[in-house]
Amino acid sequence: MNAVRIVWRVTQLNFRAQLEYRTEFLMMIAIGAIWQVSVIVFATVLLTRFAGMGGWDSSDVLLIPATRMLAHGLFVLFLGRVHGLGRHIQEGKIDAYLLRPMPVYRQVQLEHFPTNAIGDLTVAVGLMVGALGRSHLDWTPGRIAYLVAAVLGGMLLEAALFTVVASASLRFPAADYWGRWLEELLGTFGSYPLNVLPRAVGGFLTYGLPLAFVAYFPAAVLTGHGHSTGAPYWLAAASPFLGLLAYLASRWLWRWALGHYTGVNG
Amino acid sequence: MTASIEVRGLSRTFHTTVRRPGFTGVLRSLVNPERVEKHAVSDISFDVAPGELLALLGPNGAGKSTTIKMLTGILTPTSGEARVAGVVPYRERERNARNIGAVFGQRTQLWWDLPVRESFSILRDIYEVPKAEHAARLREFDELLELSSFWDTRVRHLSLGQRVRCDLAAALLHDPPVVFLDEPTIGMDVVVKEQVREFLRYQVAERGRTVLLTTHDMTEVERLAERVVLVNHGRLVLDGTLDEVRRGFGSTWQVRATLADPHTPVGPLPGIALVSHDGPQVVFGPDGPAAPTVHQALKLVIERYEVTGVAVDEADLEDVMRAAYAEVRAKAEAA
Repeated sequence: MNAVRIVWRVTQLNFRAQLEYRTEFLMMIAIGAIWQVSVIVFATVLLTRFAGMGGWDSSDVLLIPATRMLAHGLFVLFLGRVHGLGRHIQEGKIDAYLLRPMPVYRQVQLEHFPTNAIGDLTVAVGLMVGALGRSHLDWTPGRIAYLVAAVLGGMLLEAALFTVVASASLRFPAADYWGRWLEELLGTFGSYPLNVLPRAVGGFLTYGLPLAFVAYFPAAVLTGHGHSTGAPYWLAAASPFLGLLAYLASRWLWRWALGHYTGVNG
Repeated sequence: MTASIEVRGLSRTFHTTVRRPGFTGVLRSLVNPERVEKHAVSDISFDVAPGELLALLGPNGAGKSTTIKMLTGILTPTSGEARVAGVVPYRERERNARNIGAVFGQRTQLWWDLPVRESFSILRDIYEVPKAEHAARLREFDELLELSSFWDTRVRHLSLGQRVRCDLAAALLHDPPVVFLDEPTIGMDVVVKEQVREFLRYQVAERGRTVLLTTHDMTEVERLAERVVLVNHGRLVLDGTLDEVRRGFGSTWQVRATLADPHTPVGPLPGIALVSHDGPQVVFGPDGPAAPTVHQALKLVIERYEVTGVAVDEADLEDVMRAAYAEVRAKAEAA
């Protein structure tokens, strides 16, 4: 209970600290929203110029960026400070975290309040409302529950990928650059039905870098395209669960990497 | 009495790659990197008794910070063992963290964007310190370090001296029996330095805390520590009192005397060399390892000669340590 209280208290104080710099605060929200401009443009073009994509109806395709964006917004809000860990390492913050009787991962997340997440989530919620409004699906409680699980699974999968990069950064701070590449890749390919891409690229984004499990597979399962993704149906359907598994595995890797932490300046 | 800090054969080795010279060398290193071992700390052993302040000294890169990082649980040693207040720091990091306080002079452990007092109250929650106890301790620290004039300021707006004073208070708010200080007064002005030293003296003498201090400030060592451990190239060179350090590394005193009769024949005394003799002005210095202390030499000179004036020049600790570092460096190069 004490841990939850501390997390809540630090988050409140960090949020209040950000609020005190009004212009900076509003700018960060705007940046969070503007950062997603490519997704907004994609959604607009999709709805105004195309009837569909890769055999998917436009309204079904829209569910992919909406799911990904919401998962991403939640990732930025709850677990996103793990991205860019190299800076924390170079500044010696990890050393300071190791001196406190509190898990280091939690302290990384409590480093500051991610104001830009408000912008991310505003765009994401707008997109999801639009996607659900245009959807022809019958939103039964089962489908809604699966969508919620898919968003949470997507959030955990993204967190898992960045936690793996952060674990590598603990040993090689330059590994942090891979995080930027990952962010770029997620933003670029995360909104498309991956069956429109060449097979090799689609295969890489499924089994190499599991981007497909963030939003494409869950959206495929929800919209009835689950059997035509090129991956076994059960695998696509298990995406939310795999997100959870990947996150747990990444946390194990993090603990191992922290045990082998060499610090900065010897 | 069980030691607060026990260090036995502690070693830490880092692996790095050697850079070959020139462009082709860089390319060769890329394809076939040459890995080398860097022994940051090698087989170091020492104890620190409860309520003792020990200064861990050595030139830059000697292994002081790496030793402290292993004792605080930041780094895991390659070999050897350490216990801090009965806990193995790198095996039980969180338990060890409750028993220790640590200040790294060049970095803050406070929340950068929050007012200091908010940081203190978060730490109170993390360490589960009762509210009344926390308030009483803050009052005490405020009296000693004058924190209240700036503790409602965000950490990012504090001066270095203010920030380190807050870091010191934050490190001790949970009443840890063992404190690690890595160059706590670096970059401070003399007034704040003295305030911090007084605070540390109080924590050791009145609160019985065990303190392990690293510093390059010899005035600080002289005023705070009775015992020092000198390390160089990761190895322990000396573990002893300040007097032992002075004796071991050329305590270079001089006794200057003005003779009542300039024609008095003057010669060396037991363990005392005649450095110069110019009319009535005579200068004596230590002769060999069996030389007496400066006070004994003064007594011998006054007893042996009739003098009208006498003065003593004694090397300060800074000179002694400079001699010590030079000697260990020369030995290392010779080896």
